[in-house]
Amino acid sequence: MSEKSLVYEMQQVQLAIELIELGARLQVLETETDLSRGRLVRLYKEIRGLSPPKGMLPFSTDWFMTWRPNINASLFYNFYRQLTAIQGCKRLDGFVKAYRLYREQVSLEEDGEPVLDMTRAWTLVRFFESRLLELAECRSCQGSFVVHAYTPSKGFVCGICRPPSRAGKTRKNQQRQEKYACLASKGTN
Amino acid sequence: MAAVEIQELNLAYLMLAQRLLDQDREMGMFQLHITESMADLLLSLSSRQLSQLAGINQFLFQFRLNDSDQLKTLLEDERGQGLTRTHAALVLSSSTAQG
Repeated sequence: MSEKSLVYEMQQVQLAIELIELGARLQVLETETDLSRGRLVRLYKEIRGLSPPKGMLPFSTDWFMTWRPNINASLFYNFYRQLTAIQGCKRLDGFVKAYRLYREQVSLEEDGEPVLDMTRAWTLVRFFESRLLELAECRSCQGSFVVHAYTPSKGFVCGICRPPSRAGKTRKNQQRQEKYACLASKGTN
Repeated sequence: MAAVEIQELNLAYLMLAQRLLDQDREMGMFQLHITESMADLLLSLSSRQLSQLAGINQFLFQFRLNDSDQLKTLLEDERGQGLTRTHAALVLSSSTAQG
């Protein structure tokens, strides 16, 4: 009996390490593992080399509706759904794998920065579990996208097929475009 | 010769499939878009069996974006947002992409 609980505890520690390495906040670890808060704080400090951040987790579903976060959240959640509903992964295992796949895909993009951090991804799954969010199919590309629950999804068109007018016009993107324009004009001279 | 290239790609595909499934079964199944029984079968194949399977002048694997209207939609990037990759990844992992 005691031997079994040792193995179990080791698995829990390993899980916590994996989650911390992927960027989980303390609240995520407290909910998803059976380890005490004290041990989790110690683990966190050992792995990250600093104390876990204090304060509340983001609690609004609205963030997931803004343009870039919505696209990233939808991509992650599609991965999660496939891994859990079709490939038969358990919830947390599927979550970790989906998050790894998400990060891997994002790293192939030009700017390569994950918009969805691990804690946001976890909150997203919780919002789906409490049925605050659901998926709607885009009429144009047939992709599944995150929407508020109980919104009429007939005729829904996603943010990539029909981007809002100011979408993606951040300062960083503008600088990038200026840089490319500059390089292109140098190339022609 | 194209037939040789196809054969090489077939073999590379089968070998990568085995490696992906060996590293992480569920992630591999998702990335390859195959079922559990197919995963087991692929993993059990010997290298001799792999090269026999690969040795044909047709592709073993299929183009998954086989709806040309959908593919056109994915490639449209009028506003230069550079989201084509994300869009394709998202559509291929959507529930409707099954089958």
